[in-house]
Amino acid sequence: MSWLRSPLERRKLLLGLLFISPWIVGFLAFTVYPVLYTLRISFTRYSGFGEPMWVGLANYKALWTDTVFWQSLQNTLYYTALAVPIGVVVAMLMALAMNQPLREVSLYRAALYLPSVLPLFAVSFIFIALLDPNRGIFNQLMVALGLPNINWFGDPRYAKLGLVLLAQFGAGNTALVFLAGLKAIPKTLYEAAVLDGAGPVRRFWSVTLPLMTPVILYSLILGLSLGLQVFAQAYIITNGGPANATNFYVFYLYNQAFRYSSMGAASAMAWVLFIITLLLSLLIFRTSRRWVNYETVA
Amino acid sequence: MNTENQVPERWKELSYHLGPVVKHAPLSEHKEFNVKRFQLLMAFCALSLGLSYAQEVREVTFWTSHGEPDLIAIRHIVENFNAENPDINVRLVQIPPGANVETDVTRLMTAVRGGTGPDVYMLDRFIVAQRAADGLLQDLTPYMGGEDVLAGHLEFARNEATFGGLPYALPFDTDARALYYNIDMLEEAGVDVSELDPANGPISLARLQEIAAQVDQKNAQGNYERMGFIPWFEQGWHYTYGFAYGGDFYDDASCQVTPTNENVVAAFQYIYDYAAAAGPQEVQAFRQAFTRPDLPPQQNPFIAQQLAMIITGDWMLGNMERYAPDVNYGVTHIPAAEEGGESVTWAGGWSMVMPQGAKEPEAAFEFMKYIAGEPGQRVYTEETQHLPTVSSLLDDESIFTEEHLFFKDLLPTARSRPPLPVGALYWDELTAAWEKVYLNQEEPLTALEQVAARVQPQLDPFCSQLQAEN
Repeated sequence: MSWLRSPLERRKLLLGLLFISPWIVGFLAFTVYPVLYTLRISFTRYSGFGEPMWVGLANYKALWTDTVFWQSLQNTLYYTALAVPIGVVVAMLMALAMNQPLREVSLYRAALYLPSVLPLFAVSFIFIALLDPNRGIFNQLMVALGLPNINWFGDPRYAKLGLVLLAQFGAGNTALVFLAGLKAIPKTLYEAAVLDGAGPVRRFWSVTLPLMTPVILYSLILGLSLGLQVFAQAYIITNGGPANATNFYVFYLYNQAFRYSSMGAASAMAWVLFIITLLLSLLIFRTSRRWVNYETVA
Repeated sequence: MNTENQVPERWKELSYHLGPVVKHAPLSEHKEFNVKRFQLLMAFCALSLGLSYAQEVREVTFWTSHGEPDLIAIRHIVENFNAENPDINVRLVQIPPGANVETDVTRLMTAVRGGTGPDVYMLDRFIVAQRAADGLLQDLTPYMGGEDVLAGHLEFARNEATFGGLPYALPFDTDARALYYNIDMLEEAGVDVSELDPANGPISLARLQEIAAQVDQKNAQGNYERMGFIPWFEQGWHYTYGFAYGGDFYDDASCQVTPTNENVVAAFQYIYDYAAAAGPQEVQAFRQAFTRPDLPPQQNPFIAQQLAMIITGDWMLGNMERYAPDVNYGVTHIPAAEEGGESVTWAGGWSMVMPQGAKEPEAAFEFMKYIAGEPGQRVYTEETQHLPTVSSLLDDESIFTEEHLFFKDLLPTARSRPPLPVGALYWDELTAAWEKVYLNQEEPLTALEQVAARVQPQLDPFCSQLQAEN
């Protein structure tokens, strides 16, 4: 810490801290404090009003035997396990399409990205209309193709799949990151591959995909964290139903807090979710050593 | 309270403005200047007096999640109150309802915690006990000034408005449920509607199912295009059938929720079998189009004449008048569990509560008394066809239309939901079990056992508290 010894350095550090202090204050007040507060509340029985009552580990123990808790966890893992990988594939396809050397490509890029700009609330209502079993365009298309007419949001077997489909509407954001990744791959690599006689498919598998793995890892971790927190779609479209099929983890947490006035149970759930997310992220990081390629050519 | 403290504050301000006049007036050499200054100060004083007069109009913020057509009537009541009380200005704010109108009070809770809550809130009465137990609501005793404001209300409504012996709400309205039937649709299907005449008493639930099957129509793909009846649509709730079967949902003596009461289980079994016969997924697909969150009232399948019979409340009369004046329909008793059985309905309703942190509690209570009292409930009954909870209004037949009188006469025998401090959880858990049963996912008893297992542990702390107090 020798650099701190000079008065000038100290002054600079102080000035620097001062400049970012709005962020620091905001971070401490709106992130760190609430996070620590929920930890304390998770050991209490608390309705949100009056004094929290210390109950030790009772909230955590209650979760263990709570059938809806396990179902919500299962729903969430099911949703994440489908929505995240499918999202990566969809985003990759979109990014490849956006990367075509065409004159009007910017037009296509805008068209593909546009759905991601829409607020989730609006998209949800669009999907209710699209996937309506009686009049929805998507369902009519399926019937025309000889496929069964699925009641996406009304049938417990398909409700989560319906929401997975909806999630793909937001793939444009990931696609943009992927597009940037594609742009960063040196052209020389493709030229060399062409010289070696590699076709487009081979070039994708042997050049594009390996060099995209760091970006894919990033989107997996981000997708995992967002997927485990899925909430708004279920709140707007299905209200957790039918028969708890879309009662996701955070949706149940919200109900605990605001409908059943169990802030303690909700806080305990938040911490359990944090630990689950952390463990799954660590797992992905661990395995990433085997499949992520950081050796980009300068 | 606050208002009393404000008066000396204002006087302080006034004496501050007057101060310089007293000080400068004796100086004769500044006479001309002082006259001007004095005039200026007088004007200033007049202005501050005017302002302080304006401040005396106490602003009461009133939140409701009700939409049209009820909102129109509520607005009229607020306008009437404001006209009659120049010193109070009630500001009506419509907040968007949560996903679960019955149990969601997120906006209220967060606003109250943030210090920006309303002075008066309109709350579904059966969860008053829960929100009172949470500490979200104020005990109204101090504002009543010894008067028993609840005295004129129906007994069940009074019970719902009280928790732990203390008044936390003023009942605003009540309702009753009945079976509406579309005469033209039934006759077209070859049903003799005279058997549905309320004078004949209720038909049986089994007969209802037979009539409904006559109306059902499917298209080439096997989807329902019109249906006779969907038992679990609109007000076809767990409580509706549980009560129809003579079931009890709560045992006060043992402080136990009783979703596994044999009559409640029998009611759920009826639904299970009905769904199995009609095809749970087929019904669900038909129903799906009418349960969208954004659906306007005119797209109700009964109004759109795609559903021939529906169990719903008296407020539907108003909707029919407004949105379907040409539909030829009748209203009769909720079918009985057995042939020749008694008709059973249940009553609910809303109430006015004062959340913690209300800024103008006295003025707010004035308004609560008005809207939940005779003047407010009269307008609400006449304009929206809800039933009043004020007994004296129930005796005044002039405010009811002929169809509405049928509902009014159901009230004396109507049942109501147990007002529990875990009412919201109980409702939601019953609803989850209900869904599993009408989707034929789970057997009634299994589903209802889970309800008991999840709700009772949450009720237990209150039970022991109650025991300790007794």
